[in-house]
Amino acid sequence: MPEYTDTELVELFRDADKKHYAFNLLVRKYQEKVYYFVRRLVIDHDDADDVVQNIFIKVWNNLGSFREDSKLFTWLYRIAVNESLSFLKSKQLRSYLSLSSPEALMIKSLHDDPYFDGQEIQKRLSEAIIRLPKKQQLVFNMRYYDDLSYDEMSEILGTSVGALKASYHFAVKKIEDFVTIN
Amino acid sequence: MKLGQNISNQINNSEQLSPVLEKLKQEGNGYSVPDGYFDSLSSRIVDEIKKQENRSLLKSVVPFRKPMIWAPALVTVIVAVLLIFVVPGKKESTIPVVDEWTQINMAYDASYAEEAILAESNTIDKALENKDVSYIASASYNGENEPTIDEITEYLKEQEIDTDILNEY
Repeated sequence: MPEYTDTELVELFRDADKKHYAFNLLVRKYQEKVYYFVRRLVIDHDDADDVVQNIFIKVWNNLGSFREDSKLFTWLYRIAVNESLSFLKSKQLRSYLSLSSPEALMIKSLHDDPYFDGQEIQKRLSEAIIRLPKKQQLVFNMRYYDDLSYDEMSEILGTSVGALKASYHFAVKKIEDFVTIN
Repeated sequence: MKLGQNISNQINNSEQLSPVLEKLKQEGNGYSVPDGYFDSLSSRIVDEIKKQENRSLLKSVVPFRKPMIWAPALVTVIVAVLLIFVVPGKKESTIPVVDEWTQINMAYDASYAEEAILAESNTIDKALENKDVSYIASASYNGENEPTIDEITEYLKEQEIDTDILNEY
C-alpha cells in the first residue's frame, strides 16, 4: 500500500475521482491508533467499533472543509475525543436505570470482556484508569500510551500545558497507588 | 512557596514512571480484536456512509415523511371529499300541502293556525272566482254559517236600512 503524507491524503480526498481511494488509505493509516484510543476509554469492543465508525464517518463528512491550520492527526484525534466523550455521556445517562454506577459497569465489562487477553496486572491497570476522572483518563492515555507531547495534547483538548502536566502527575500517582495496593 | 516548588518539581518529575508502569507500557494494554477486524473495517465504514447518503437522499425526495407535515393535509382532503360527495339532504318545506288530511291537522293543531286561515282564504278566493256560491254558502266561520245575500237583504229590510248599502261594498 503506498504511503502518503497527511497533506497528500487531504489533496487526494478533495479530488472527486479519488475521494474513496484517499479515504480508504486514511482509514487504514489511522484505524488502529484511533481504535485503541477509543477502546481504552469505552472498554467494550462492540462499543469501540461503533464509536470508531462514527469518527470516520465524521471525517468523511468534514475532511473536504478541513482548513489545515492544524495537523490532520490532531484534527482526527479531536474528533475521536469528542465522539468518545459523547458516547460515554449517553452511556452514563442510560446507566441511571441500573443500580450500579457507570464505573462499576465498565469494570464489570472489563472483567467479562472476551477480547482481553492481557495479564492480570494489565487488567488492574485498566481498572485503575477507569476509576480516574474523564479528563485525567484522556490525559493519561494520550501521554502514557500514545506518547503525545503536551503541546499536541493542549491543541487537542484546549487545555494549558501546565494544567495537563498537573493532571498527568495526579493520574500517575493514583494509578501507581491502586496497582500497588491491589 | 516551598510547597509550591515541591509540587512543581514533582509534576516535572512525574515523567519518571515507577518500574511497574514502565514495564506495562512496553507490554501494551492487553485489548484484542476479532480476527480480520481491521481488514474489513474500512469497507464497513464505506458501506455505512453509503447507507446514510441513501437515507438523506430519500429525505430530500420525499419531504413529507414526517407525519406532522402530511397528516393535517390528509385530514383536510378527507373532509373536503366527504363534504363534496356526501351532500346533505334538502330540508323539506315546513309549509304543509293544502289537502284534506292537512286541513284536518290544521284544524286540530294550533301551530297550523296561520296556515289554516291562509289555506281557507285561498280556497274561498278560488270559489269566488268560479262563482261557486254553494261553497260560500256552506263555508264555516268560527263554527257559524255565513249568511247569504238574500238573508242579508231580508235583514236589512227588517231593520229599515237602505239596501243600497250593499252596493257600496
